[in-house]
Amino acid sequence: MATEAEQNKMNDSLASDGNRGNSQGGSSKWLSAHFDPVASLYTFSSCMTFSDITGDGENRLVIADLGTGAHNMKLKIYKGTSLVNENTIIDLPTGVATFYMDTIEPRVPAVAVASGPYLYVYKNLRPYFKFTLPPLEVNPVEQDLWNQARDDKIDVTVLREMLDSIRREGTEGALTVRSLRFLMLPDRDQMEMFAQSYKHTPLKRQTVITCLATLKKSSAEDDAISCLVVGTECKEIYVLDPEAFTIQARMSVPSVPVFLRVTGLFDVEYRLVVSCRNGNIYTLKKGMKTGKLCVELTSQPVGVERIGKNIIAGCMDQTLQCYTIKGKKLWTVYLSDNIITMSVMDHKQKGFKAVMVALDNGDVQIYRDKYLIDTIKTDSAITGIQYGRFGREDCSLVLTTRKGGLLIKILKRNAVFEEKDFARGPPAAQNQRLNVPKKTKVFVDQTMRERENGVAMHRMFQHDLYRLRLNTAREYVKVLNSSMNPVSTNLAEPLKLSAQVQGIGPTFKMTVNLQNTSLSVPIMNTLISFLYDEKLYSLQKTMIPVPLLVPGLNYKFETLVECVNDKGISDVIKAFVVKEGATSPIITAVINMPVSETVVVA
Amino acid sequence: MSVQVQDVTQHEPPDSQGASALPEKVASPAEDPSPKPQPKPRSKKAPEIPIFERQNWLIHLHYIRKEYSTCKALIKERLSESSGMCEYALYVQALILRQEGRIQESLECFQTCALINAQNPNNLKQVARSLFLLGRHKAAIDVYSEAAKLSERDWEISHNQGVCYMYLKDYLKAKECLKQAIQFNKHDLSYVMLAKIYLIEDDLHMAIDVYKRAIESSPENPELLTTLGLLYLQVGQNQRAFEHLGNALTYDPCNVKAILAAGSMMQFHGDFDVALTKYRIAASSVPESASLWNNIGMCFFGKKKLVAAISCLKRAAYLAPFDWKVMYNLGLVHLTMSQYASAFHFLSAAINLKPKMGQLYMLLAVALTHLEDIENARKSYEQAASLDTKEATINLNFCIFLYNHGERKAAAKQFSLFEQKFKKMKDSATQEVDPEILEAANKLGPALQVGESLVWKSESSTGPSSDTSTPKTSSQEDSDITKQMAAAPLPPDHDPAGKGKAKGDKEPLLG
Repeated sequence: MATEAEQNKMNDSLASDGNRGNSQGGSSKWLSAHFDPVASLYTFSSCMTFSDITGDGENRLVIADLGTGAHNMKLKIYKGTSLVNENTIIDLPTGVATFYMDTIEPRVPAVAVASGPYLYVYKNLRPYFKFTLPPLEVNPVEQDLWNQARDDKIDVTVLREMLDSIRREGTEGALTVRSLRFLMLPDRDQMEMFAQSYKHTPLKRQTVITCLATLKKSSAEDDAISCLVVGTECKEIYVLDPEAFTIQARMSVPSVPVFLRVTGLFDVEYRLVVSCRNGNIYTLKKGMKTGKLCVELTSQPVGVERIGKNIIAGCMDQTLQCYTIKGKKLWTVYLSDNIITMSVMDHKQKGFKAVMVALDNGDVQIYRDKYLIDTIKTDSAITGIQYGRFGREDCSLVLTTRKGGLLIKILKRNAVFEEKDFARGPPAAQNQRLNVPKKTKVFVDQTMRERENGVAMHRMFQHDLYRLRLNTAREYVKVLNSSMNPVSTNLAEPLKLSAQVQGIGPTFKMTVNLQNTSLSVPIMNTLISFLYDEKLYSLQKTMIPVPLLVPGLNYKFETLVECVNDKGISDVIKAFVVKEGATSPIITAVINMPVSETVVVA
Repeated sequence: MSVQVQDVTQHEPPDSQGASALPEKVASPAEDPSPKPQPKPRSKKAPEIPIFERQNWLIHLHYIRKEYSTCKALIKERLSESSGMCEYALYVQALILRQEGRIQESLECFQTCALINAQNPNNLKQVARSLFLLGRHKAAIDVYSEAAKLSERDWEISHNQGVCYMYLKDYLKAKECLKQAIQFNKHDLSYVMLAKIYLIEDDLHMAIDVYKRAIESSPENPELLTTLGLLYLQVGQNQRAFEHLGNALTYDPCNVKAILAAGSMMQFHGDFDVALTKYRIAASSVPESASLWNNIGMCFFGKKKLVAAISCLKRAAYLAPFDWKVMYNLGLVHLTMSQYASAFHFLSAAINLKPKMGQLYMLLAVALTHLEDIENARKSYEQAASLDTKEATINLNFCIFLYNHGERKAAAKQFSLFEQKFKKMKDSATQEVDPEILEAANKLGPALQVGESLVWKSESSTGPSSDTSTPKTSSQEDSDITKQMAAAPLPPDHDPAGKGKAKGDKEPLLG
């Protein structure tokens, strides 16, 4: 066992030596082509794509920018490193896709931007067409109510009551947003006004697009006509015909789709992999109406990619998990930080596909199967990442940072990705020396001394220990005899005394706390008195009469103490609790007075 | 259908105020402009109200990236627009509140979600989860049962119900629920919980079985492998334990628990250098683990680097001042360094922390013998012998002690006791017998003129040395001490994971 472990260690260290150069060279596989830290892009991987949108053979970068999240939403087109075109988008873009919608020469792909319930299609950089998602069914009762309101058969209060009762019945999404809005209105006037302005428009219930993808229609060529696949908030997935924009296939999934990955051909056979908001991944094949549960993840997926026959999901719990299309778990990689976004790197020249994972610490890790083949380090967390042909360069990587920057990198032609994982082998920590605390010469000397005189030391120690114990016991007896202890041992007057001093001088406030610790017996006829040096202090009250002490309660007595000496010295004040007529105190507190600060300052 | 995309200049009114969405009330750039749907007769035009759920996707995207501040801003906007009627925004807000540890507020949010949409099982599941986190397990089970009506064959519900039952100490039901959960979906978590229940019930073999099945479904999970390794260690299947720990380390070379357990096993077999290299990894990730420094210290001790050993053990003692094992080891190392006065202090500290351990008293007695405190040494030996009835070395040491102080009769009695125990130990032979014990006994037997039927005679190749005269006191003392070292250090120095469970697991091994 030992030799085996040793052998492993050897191998490990060899491997790590061999690979260290590699890992440093990792990011040098990429040429940094462009970095614009102030591109002010707010976007996601799903809102970025490459396409030859002018048909001149040079791919542009298409980015749907979410602007500030409320304003300035733009569709931006980059040619090389410069922004060549901007189109304003009216609402927040959910996703961008480019696709060939016809066979008209010259072949120019269209750009589809999903936003709210609409798909905006641009061609030749110009708005071309708007597709609206079909409205959902409206609750017939609700429809009826609004119809009646329109015909002034019912008044707004009745309308409100009826709508409210429908809402309370609580079948999901039954009400249109108009009714919900209406129910939110506070008073009759506004309801009237609202009903007035809306009752003539037809009632409809809309939904929004949550994700967008493309699916080749009948042939797999790069410039073949593609269908658009959209996922909606109402848990449905539509496949749209590229020419007529009619819904060709309508499928449903049990939860709202978040990520949509499509393979195959619409006319032949296709498969959708849909990750949903409930953390599950569903698969759909041609002809299926509802999604089939494929994987139930324990943590929400941050990205889902399809590579070959496998599904790779990056999850919120910092793992990268791989499953077969049947849902069998293949492997899990534990990552060092949270995943921000993921994308596929399809290295066509070398003929492999890898997953790029952007982490919160700014790293972009590239995994081929479960092996880490490269790491790109950046300064800011990457929020959007896309690999593909940009300009005339096949292996380009575009990254957007959380701070809004835009990075463009090009893969070196001579870059070689190792088959195996370069992060394997022993972790770097194994080569660090153990931080064993150093020992001084004194330590060694003392050791020598102990070796020589151990017996004497031990005896001396034991002797001193006995004396210490004896002294302690003696002092304790003394304290008990003279009632100098703050807790009374006298069973007749079980009392607890504590005192505190507040202030910085020359006047202090002294607070004496008294507590009767007996369970039932009250204590009467006691006094608090003080013993102090009259040259140093003068007390406002030298004697405090104590009222009847109820068991358990805490009593506070206060007096002001003035320091009359300006030499900056301090002394102790003893506080006694005495029984009237008795000669020795019940308990005593010794209070160490602080030095009067003002004297020191003066 | 073919409507041209409207240009932005034509904004629709803002609707975030909600109260009066009058068509003409167009302010400066609208906050949520919605495109005009169809060209309508101008007079009757009413602005379209965008649906409340329109930014759910964005909330979700920010939530899964853990960009909680952005997410909260978005949610706030949505909720104020919809007067808190946007279910998903509220749901995510509750999830974030839970992440921030504000469980009660989160529960209230989830309850509101469940009111808005009673048909969504997720809302109920989250309510139950919050109740669970608040420790209200019974209420959580009830809500989960409600949720189960809406969502059949749901792993999450069965699993969490099982966990609730576990905390309510209803292990039978807990196991039932967890087994059901595993049927629905083979999540590692359910296996871990099920095994935990078996461990609570002291059913090690079932727990091992559960872990085995868990590893079948998730073969590369280092946590599962490590725990299974530790369980094997507990039932004494060291070979298997080492296999699993090794596997765990292949998949996750930085798994501290596995490193400590595997390292202690290597130490047990004397591979101190390999163990030390593994500990280096652990030292960088958990530099403040007392168990780790204890083990490192004992590695150095094994390599006879006593000063380094003391340094490491003292660090361990600093990190865990109430750990008797560290004190024990410190005492042992100081005995080896012949610093008997220090050894005495560490050992008496260890005895204060762990008063019922015979071996501690034996070491204390050795220290006291060297400190020439014969009376106390004798008492200490007696105490050791009365506390520990299995360990043969106690009697042997006691015997040597008595012999050296001229009490042949008592020594002979201890020697026969030693012989009995030693024979028993050999019969059950789990460990190899230390040659030093044999040597000391071989010398002692003839000296005391007892033990004709020496059990070890047949095995011992050397046999009693030809020099049958009384062994020299000094050399005896030496063998006495060194034997201690060999016999005693083993138990405490494998102490795999730090505090808590793993340590508890190891305790039986020591006894």
